Amino acid sequence: MSRAGCPTGIPTGLHLILYVAGDGPNSRIARENLARVCEKELAGHCTVRIVDVLEDFSAAIKNNILVTPTLLVCKPGHVVTVIGNLIDHQKVRTALGLEEAGP
Amino acid sequence: MYPEEHHGDPTGSSASRSIPKIPTNIRGLDGILKGGFPEGRTTILSGMAGTGKTVLALEFLYRGALEGHAGLFISFEERAEDVRANASAMGMDPTVLEDQSKLRIIHAEMPVDAVMTGDFDTRGLLALIEGQARLTGAKRIVLDAVDSLMSIFDNPRREREEISLLLNRLRSLSMTTIFTVKVEPTGRNVYPFLDFMADCVLLLDQRVAEQIRTRRLKVLKYRGSDFLSNEHPYALSSEGVVLLPVSAMSMKDASFQERVSSGSEELDRIVGGGYFRGSCILLCGPTGIGKTSLACTFAHAACARGEKVLYVDFEVSPQTLVLAMRSIGLDLQPSLQADSRLHMLAAMPESDGFEEHLVRILAEMTRFSPRYLIVDAISACRRMGSERDAFDFLLRLMTACRARGITSFFTNQIRNQDHLTQLSGLGISSLVDTIIALEYFLDGQELNRRLMVIKSRGSDHSKEFHQLELSDTGLRLHRNAGQENAARA
Repeated sequence: MSRAGCPTGIPTGLHLILYVAGDGPNSRIARENLARVCEKELAGHCTVRIVDVLEDFSAAIKNNILVTPTLLVCKPGHVVTVIGNLIDHQKVRTALGLEEAGP
Repeated sequence: MYPEEHHGDPTGSSASRSIPKIPTNIRGLDGILKGGFPEGRTTILSGMAGTGKTVLALEFLYRGALEGHAGLFISFEERAEDVRANASAMGMDPTVLEDQSKLRIIHAEMPVDAVMTGDFDTRGLLALIEGQARLTGAKRIVLDAVDSLMSIFDNPRREREEISLLLNRLRSLSMTTIFTVKVEPTGRNVYPFLDFMADCVLLLDQRVAEQIRTRRLKVLKYRGSDFLSNEHPYALSSEGVVLLPVSAMSMKDASFQERVSSGSEELDRIVGGGYFRGSCILLCGPTGIGKTSLACTFAHAACARGEKVLYVDFEVSPQTLVLAMRSIGLDLQPSLQADSRLHMLAAMPESDGFEEHLVRILAEMTRFSPRYLIVDAISACRRMGSERDAFDFLLRLMTACRARGITSFFTNQIRNQDHLTQLSGLGISSLVDTIIALEYFLDGQELNRRLMVIKSRGSDHSKEFHQLELSDTGLRLHRNAGQENAARA
């Protein structure tokens, strides 16, 4: 099922929303992993928003975020949901659609 | 509007001594739980698919919301619109309460097609719950199909950690929490640690024997509280869940004083002056001997006195019965139609489990307020399930009658002269006040009928056989039927 509520401010390119819960271990690891990917592989080609569900629960309700961390990868036309602390670099790259741009 | 005698006394001594509880207002349940669910704590409803866990949990929130207590229903499996549809099939209308923010039904859809990478936790769900609780002021929450939530972890240790996290957080929020959990068809408890963590554990059990379904609820555990420990039959009716416990209160002995006529002066004399009002009469005998005729004679006399009779017929239709009774000079039609003193409830025993039959009869007793209940014949009750189901059915019906002061009259079909060896009433005969047996006997070349009062509590009844004759002027009873036979032979 597709998730609603992905902002369409940038019709082309990637828009990433990471839902975290405060400063819990998984949330911290996910933030770091996402920052690394953005910096190294997506520099300038994406926008990133981080939502703390402990502060903004209405966003969690609206997008049915039950587990954290959850990353929504909003591409034109569809959304990929990634669950977990983004530890698996290869899986994250695939979800972002970066596989073909690899080494 | 439901049988109050099934409810325990929530303000009774046992409840006041134990932990704080909130009444569920589900019929019969608070009696079993001696007051309700533990307040601010966790209750588990477990059972196989289709046992009614979801609807029981929802009814708890629904009835609470009707009294102004907001509740959150989080479903991990069914969509919110399906939950609403199921609710309305059980006589609930959640949408009005949702509009008033007294009830929230939320489908917490599990992300089935998500990419999984690394560890995660349910803090998102907690944020959702806390946010909704803050918005609505809810102190009651149902997490429906918790097994579905846990299945995403795919790791027993993480499942346990997350459930602990969830339970501790909900407890610190003072939420009264209901978890529903599926049990495998094998009966294996998939999450034994859940029962360990919870304060109250209810098991809903559904069995099918000989194509008849029976449902039972059992309290497995209630920390810090007393409860009724037996298995309790329950039904999923069009007016919600109905539990059918037998409470000790309803078994108290009635003190009989007033007499009511059986419809035959001779029979009144034989039983020692008529039946006692509020007592229970069992009439047994082989097929075709006149049990229904005696039952209808009793009913007809009651209607003629202006009293109301509920007649539960497991054998024939009302029309057939009216026609049959004309042959012994009884016209039931006026009572059935013109003055509505006689109400017939015809049912096929096989059409439902005994819980549903019982709920229907009890509801009819509440609506119609009869002074008499006639059941013809209880031998058919075996066809609602097992022998034990038949016993459970009759026991509940009898205690309900006794608690309301209704005079009950049961017929039972047995083989000729069986009553001499077994006072057959499916094991209920000790609960019966008056037992009358009918049997065939050979008088020369003629097969005749005779009647014997086997017991009649508190009455000086005749100990002799009386010959029974049925004609178009009604029933007649003669003394010394057997002796005349013996003398002539």
